[in-house]
Amino acid sequence: MTGEGAPVTKPVPVPDAITAPFWEAANRGVLAIQHCGDCDTSIHPPAALCPDCQSPALAFREVSGRGRVYTHTIVRDNVTQGFARDEPYVIGIIELAEQERLLLIANVVGVALEDVRVGMPVRVTFERLTESIALPQFEPDEGD
Amino acid sequence: MVGELSGKAAIVGLGYSKLERRSPRPLAHFAREAAHAAIADAGLRVEDIDGLGTIPNIAAYGNTGDLEGIDIVSVPNMIRMLGRERGIRWHVQTPGLCPDTIIAAAAAVAAGACDYALVWRAVNVPKGRYSDFSRAEARGEHQFRAPYGFTMPAAWQSVALRKYMHDHGSTREDMAAFVVQNRKNTQLNPKAYWHGTPLTVEEYLEAPMVADPFCLYDCDIPVDGCVAVVLASAERARDLAQPPAYLTGYAQTTWPTRGGFTDSEHLWEGAAAMGEKLWASAGLGPGDMDVAMLYDGFSVFLYVWLEGLGFVPRGEAASYIASGATALDGELPLNTSGCSLGEGRLHGMAQVSEAVLQVMGRAEGRQIEGAAHAVATVGAGTLASGGLIFSREARA
Ligand SMILES: [Zn+2]
Repeated sequence: MTGEGAPVTKPVPVPDAITAPFWEAANRGVLAIQHCGDCDTSIHPPAALCPDCQSPALAFREVSGRGRVYTHTIVRDNVTQGFARDEPYVIGIIELAEQERLLLIANVVGVALEDVRVGMPVRVTFERLTESIALPQFEPDEGD
Repeated sequence: MVGELSGKAAIVGLGYSKLERRSPRPLAHFAREAAHAAIADAGLRVEDIDGLGTIPNIAAYGNTGDLEGIDIVSVPNMIRMLGRERGIRWHVQTPGLCPDTIIAAAAAVAAGACDYALVWRAVNVPKGRYSDFSRAEARGEHQFRAPYGFTMPAAWQSVALRKYMHDHGSTREDMAAFVVQNRKNTQLNPKAYWHGTPLTVEEYLEAPMVADPFCLYDCDIPVDGCVAVVLASAERARDLAQPPAYLTGYAQTTWPTRGGFTDSEHLWEGAAAMGEKLWASAGLGPGDMDVAMLYDGFSVFLYVWLEGLGFVPRGEAASYIASGATALDGELPLNTSGCSLGEGRLHGMAQVSEAVLQVMGRAEGRQIEGAAHAVATVGAGTLASGGLIFSREARA
């Protein structure tokens, strides 16, 4: 645990029996989203059973990593450890290209706070937190 | 078909503690004050109370205390405070929000499980920074939120307002119209925290931003306090000190959020699904309501409930408020006491108590003449939310 003087880190995800494949893929620089083989629905955050058809036949598959900002906020009165209190940051709710309302939380990086817009095209990038955890983040997608 | 419980129980007494901020007094003192006030208001004695119900949880998220008597006041504590170790015949503790507890207590008094049930909600201002998340690890539902700094309830709900503003073309000026109207109503409510502190549109627009587009005044004001109500069956209610506020409609939300506050559409979907059950339970509709106390723990919930319950079509809440329709002299006076934003963060008891006072005819300077039906909603529209309709007469 953090001792005196140790740097205070962001909360680090602890993978569990349901979410481990998501974090394992992210650690390799791949965005993998849980998918239901029975009703062909993508699911996030990962679940034990498909929330639409209750099927247990779920598997993770790589997605394009592209999407749009569904909505967002600029956090200015921050209360999460590891985030500087006086440095505002953007939280984007990202709608992935693969499915309507397939949503994922991320920080929108590589763009000025005020320039983030609903509908803005974004693509995934990864922020390394620890040796085994990389966080999917999103940056403006300028196209290929 | 009207719900079996409609009109069979009533709120017959109501009591408030003082509302303070960061009080040195333990929360138990506030709960005791509210409980005795509610029992006396009903014209009852402590020995008459044989049912108890509360939400014993802390009303905050993050690292905060949960010490009995300081941060929470549970049923065993109230039993001791009232000296009713031998007299309680029924009690319940429900997680979540107060409509669950009130519906359970109404069912208990209507069925005769107890004669007079006391329901209270005691909340405090959490110690330290509000909704502080100081943990090195993010487990379970936190793992897709906390690493991104998405741990603050204001931030979770601010994304709903952003999407609404984008989809429906509303502005912060539109929201200012509601918040300022609400604060104006608050000036007629001496028990409110913000009583004596008016707010202008300019002050709202220039207030510090918490999580854009939420500023400070889009968030309710945390207080130390307790509100208690006494419930009785319709038969018993007729002979007590106050005119009864009959519970004629009731519904709980069963609409889960998916993805931890990512998709604000769930709020509207949940509110609409609850609204169908709520109106059906009473055999009433939005047009029958004389006043509405809609949950405003965060300002955007007003839009959720006005549209979700069918008072206005989707996307029209902001313009409806701007038209003056929800002012005290409008067609649907809204949050006449100032509710959560103005009175204080009482987790829905501000809505319940003002709906009750309006149909009892006891809302003093803000009384809506002849108010026969009042609706109160609590929560964001998704799971744990609930709605109650109170009426001057037992049958709709
Ligand atoms: Zn499925």
